[in-house]
Amino acid sequence: MTATNILELNLTDLSWLIAGRQISSSEMVQAALARLDSLEGKLNAFITVLREQATAAAQQADDEIGRGNYRGPLHGVPVTIKDMFETAGVRTTGGSKILADWIPTNDADLVDKLRAAGAIIIGKTNLDEFGHGGTSTLSHFGSVHNPWDVERIAGGSSGGSAAAVAAGIGPLSYGTETGSSVRRPASYCGIVGFKPTFGIISRHGSFRGAWSQDHVGLFTRSVKDIPLGLDSVAGYDPRDPASVHQEKAAYTAGLDGNVKGVKVGVLRRFLESVNPAVKNAFEAALKVLAQAGCEIVDIDIPELRYAAMTSMMTSSAESAGINRRWFRERHQDYVPHVSRGIAAGMTITASEYLTVQRARHRIREAVRGAYEKVALIVSPTTSRVAPLLAEGLKGNGDDTRHASYDHSNMLRFPSMLGLPGCSLPIGINPEGMPMGMQLIGAWFADQTVLNAALAYQNDTDWHARRPALVQA
Amino acid sequence: MNDNDQLAHRLALLDGVEFSATDLAAIVAEVEDLQRVAAELEEFAQATPWISQQIQPAGKKVGS
Repeated sequence: MTATNILELNLTDLSWLIAGRQISSSEMVQAALARLDSLEGKLNAFITVLREQATAAAQQADDEIGRGNYRGPLHGVPVTIKDMFETAGVRTTGGSKILADWIPTNDADLVDKLRAAGAIIIGKTNLDEFGHGGTSTLSHFGSVHNPWDVERIAGGSSGGSAAAVAAGIGPLSYGTETGSSVRRPASYCGIVGFKPTFGIISRHGSFRGAWSQDHVGLFTRSVKDIPLGLDSVAGYDPRDPASVHQEKAAYTAGLDGNVKGVKVGVLRRFLESVNPAVKNAFEAALKVLAQAGCEIVDIDIPELRYAAMTSMMTSSAESAGINRRWFRERHQDYVPHVSRGIAAGMTITASEYLTVQRARHRIREAVRGAYEKVALIVSPTTSRVAPLLAEGLKGNGDDTRHASYDHSNMLRFPSMLGLPGCSLPIGINPEGMPMGMQLIGAWFADQTVLNAALAYQNDTDWHARRPALVQA
Repeated sequence: MNDNDQLAHRLALLDGVEFSATDLAAIVAEVEDLQRVAAELEEFAQATPWISQQIQPAGKKVGS
């Protein structure tokens, strides 16, 4: 098998081959690093590459597997992580000048779990500063470029992770999401992005964007790979106040793609602002879900008109609280746009923040009511494809400051309410850019979301499309 | 309190951090927008219960 071919392998197949010693971890890690080297000048997806550590860890994994000490599906697999997660002895920047040279002494819980699972972390990916953005252009380390068209944004804030997976630099990456920072870049980069229910994966040792909305999420090229990546890192962690007690994760075992009789709700009014090509792809995707056994029904949740502004106010106030000290001492070291956002957040009063939480509660109760009628809510992930870098910050497609049926509300409500959500590719537009659909479940219905995503993927091949940049 | 006073009151919350005129203009525009949004959300949230965020007991009750 050639180096190019092994980079096309999804996580499920790669794990199988590594476990059976048909491919070595060293071979796979070197292929991923070579791909990274060849594309990084175009993508700028990484802040730190762990070449020596990854090479040594891969050799160790090969030795262990050779001795019969196979740890599980991530053993020997090259993975990447957003530079939001602390890594002992390796700089952790958050995409910020403020921490450009900071070397933590401890690993984040996610990193602990990945190391225990035998995963090989080959690099730390680029992002909007501390997760504050939707474009991955607000990084001290420069903008991330989209592998499908390097003149376009990758989406953010986990843009480096999405670009890496889309470019075949490892089959799995971990990011974070406060507003839409996993689902949006997944959609823009034509891959699968999943964020579980709030509290399923510990956030200990990662920077907070907004504590009541922050999640850890995953990127892969196939829905089948998400549960493999999730099972290894989910679990209760008393160090994260949001962590939930849960059974040992077994999402892989529960993945059957069975959606017979699953009721899927569509919020038609929020489709009005969606680009026609995206809307057409979404309508076609609904037909696929219906053929797979889902019952598609129209629903209405008018309260969601306020979702984006509620989410934005919440994250503005919380990020101001989180950054207050650095802001006072080093505001000039933030990316200017981020600094201005934190400044605005600092002017939100306590009573306003609490009023916003009241609004959030009203939206949550309305959504809870909807989930008594349907198992899933689906929509296009983003209202259009990845914008051009030249369009600047306004090009990220957000219009979040008005109560309206704008699609940004669809993008924002899952993280604000802690709902599990999966974005997956559903087409390519006439400009050659990927389009995505998101499936959003009720709290702790993560398995239902994954099964519906798999059911869609089983009947389509959009997930198998690759950017021209990486085609052999 | 008139609009100018309200704005001045809010900008005082910036802990004395000084910005360039350009940055300050952008921040003022953002703050005015936040004020409008806050008022809109206050109206929307009327008659909704105040939420409780009580600290949860540590650990887990045995047998629960």
